[in-house]
Amino acid sequence: MVTVLDVVREAQLLVLAVILLPGAAAKLLDRSPRGQGPAVLLPIGWRRPATLAHGAAEGVLALALLGAWGIAGDAARIGAALLFAGGAAALVVLRRSSPETGCGCFGGLSTTPVDWRSIARSGLLAVSALAAIGVPSSAAGVAAGATLGHAGVLALEAVLIGALSPELVELARRAARPVPCAVREIPVQRTLARLRASDVWRSNAAVVEGTEPLDVWRQGCWRFAVFPGRRSGRPVDVVFGIPLEGRRPAIRAVITDRETGEVLYALGGLADSGRGGRPRRQAPAGVEVQSVGDAVSAHGPEREADSQVTA
Amino acid sequence: MPVDASARRRHTAVVLGDRAAPEPTPAPEPDPVVRGVVTEITPRLVAVATAQGEERFLFEAATTFWCGRETGLSALRVGDDVVVRCRAGRAVAERIWVRLARVTGVIAERSGETLVVDTGHTGGRRSVVVPYRYSGRIGVRHPVLEPGYLLDVIGVFEDGAVQAVVPATTQPPFPVWDAAPAKAPEAVGDRIRGSVSWYDPAVGDPDRAGLLGAAYPAVDRDSDCGPGCDRVRGCLPLPLLSLGTTLSLRNECTGDSAVLPVVDCASVTAHFCDRCTDCGPGEEGRIAQLTLGAFLALGGRPESGCFNATLTLG
Repeated sequence: MVTVLDVVREAQLLVLAVILLPGAAAKLLDRSPRGQGPAVLLPIGWRRPATLAHGAAEGVLALALLGAWGIAGDAARIGAALLFAGGAAALVVLRRSSPETGCGCFGGLSTTPVDWRSIARSGLLAVSALAAIGVPSSAAGVAAGATLGHAGVLALEAVLIGALSPELVELARRAARPVPCAVREIPVQRTLARLRASDVWRSNAAVVEGTEPLDVWRQGCWRFAVFPGRRSGRPVDVVFGIPLEGRRPAIRAVITDRETGEVLYALGGLADSGRGGRPRRQAPAGVEVQSVGDAVSAHGPEREADSQVTA
Repeated sequence: MPVDASARRRHTAVVLGDRAAPEPTPAPEPDPVVRGVVTEITPRLVAVATAQGEERFLFEAATTFWCGRETGLSALRVGDDVVVRCRAGRAVAERIWVRLARVTGVIAERSGETLVVDTGHTGGRRSVVVPYRYSGRIGVRHPVLEPGYLLDVIGVFEDGAVQAVVPATTQPPFPVWDAAPAKAPEAVGDRIRGSVSWYDPAVGDPDRAGLLGAAYPAVDRDSDCGPGCDRVRGCLPLPLLSLGTTLSLRNECTGDSAVLPVVDCASVTAHFCDRCTDCGPGEEGRIAQLTLGAFLALGGRPESGCFNATLTLG
């Protein structure tokens, strides 16, 4: 007969695997030069290898908890208990020697200085691993035959571990206040993909020659890309201004004569939403907008837009 | 592919408007700052070979000289690299800096009195000697001259090597890898206050001696900073920019202001979260490293190493 205690012990396998897997991934992917968590107690040359070894150990233990039972399963549970107990001790030392350092438990997400919550969480997980020793099934087996009792225990422990996890506060903070676009690292390829999926790109496709930009540069929340083009037989530069913020940014395009630098055409503030928005022609101050080429004339009526947006 | 900085600025201006990409401030005519090599010295004048040819500058009673310290005409030697701030239409020398040098970066190696300093992925490694006679003065603000610690010193070229003479900042008491990573800013304002320092663009390329511009600590990694980019997040919320974009800077000590193009990457500057005390304590963090010419044009004193400034974004 399965007792409540058995259900609690079996649920610990799932808890441990769910905690260990993302922790391992975060450590293996961490690229911070300083290192995270207890690794900063080591000389600089040892930090990266130590972090990788820690992540690899967590990954192996998580997989063993998921799939192994019997002696192998118990070995994994003892290993997890030692890892978490050692981690709790290392966090106590870290709190004394480097009080501004995060625990590094989930890589760059664990930057909140180590406090009693992180230490208590490690201790709790060590106890969980010890409690799971002797459970005849693996975590995968428990998951396959999970009952309402398991779900209840998991929900209670999720609340408890969540209360001991400063990472949740950090996640909420990041969600509520994303990094400002002016300082956010955004790959060029993502920006170009966004450009090529836009109406402004399609509007100017007939003018643009070549698929790769001549030059790409950035100014805060804007990235610019210049493509070679030809309009009415003359070589031109097609300059795209791509806002880096917003899901449907209003991409701008300006066509300039390559030899004289004269602005031939400007298209800005396009409602690039595909929801019936209309293109707007935009004339930078002091520039007379000339006739619109065939490639863009199919976009219907035009109207003046604000002439200037600052980055 | 070399960057066409003027085309970038022009194209940015046609998309966003001139306010977002103002034209760089042109050098004054005649330029009151001259860089060159001394070809002749007399008690009344000095002749300097510049990019425009040989120019002669008269001395007056108020002319001052700096060669690691306030000095006199005797410090000048034929063949010296000098920076002359002049007046009266480039006729009279007001102040002359002799064999001026600066090394800013992270100490990579130490061998006796010689340090090898990593000045960032664009500047590479430079050697600097901390002579025994100046080690006390340097050691007050740079107590640990070991790998991993920051170094920012002003000195003079002596026998082909840079000799550190005065510290330009106070060294943090830990190596760069133990510095707590800066958090992402919650907002980026239109005005950013901090300090600016200077660097010599002629190191490795004498043709750039008169360059007016700024090396910027937050150059976009993908478009310009490149695969070897060693930029870290500094303590100022600086927007990511590319080479060729322009900065509007105001010297809070003198009131001088100018628009300067970003001409270099100053990745190492982001490690410095210090304050400039040249005219009272300013804000923490460095906005940029100006070329020596730009630093002087904005009223900076190279021997002090920095001034407080405000960066205005378009």
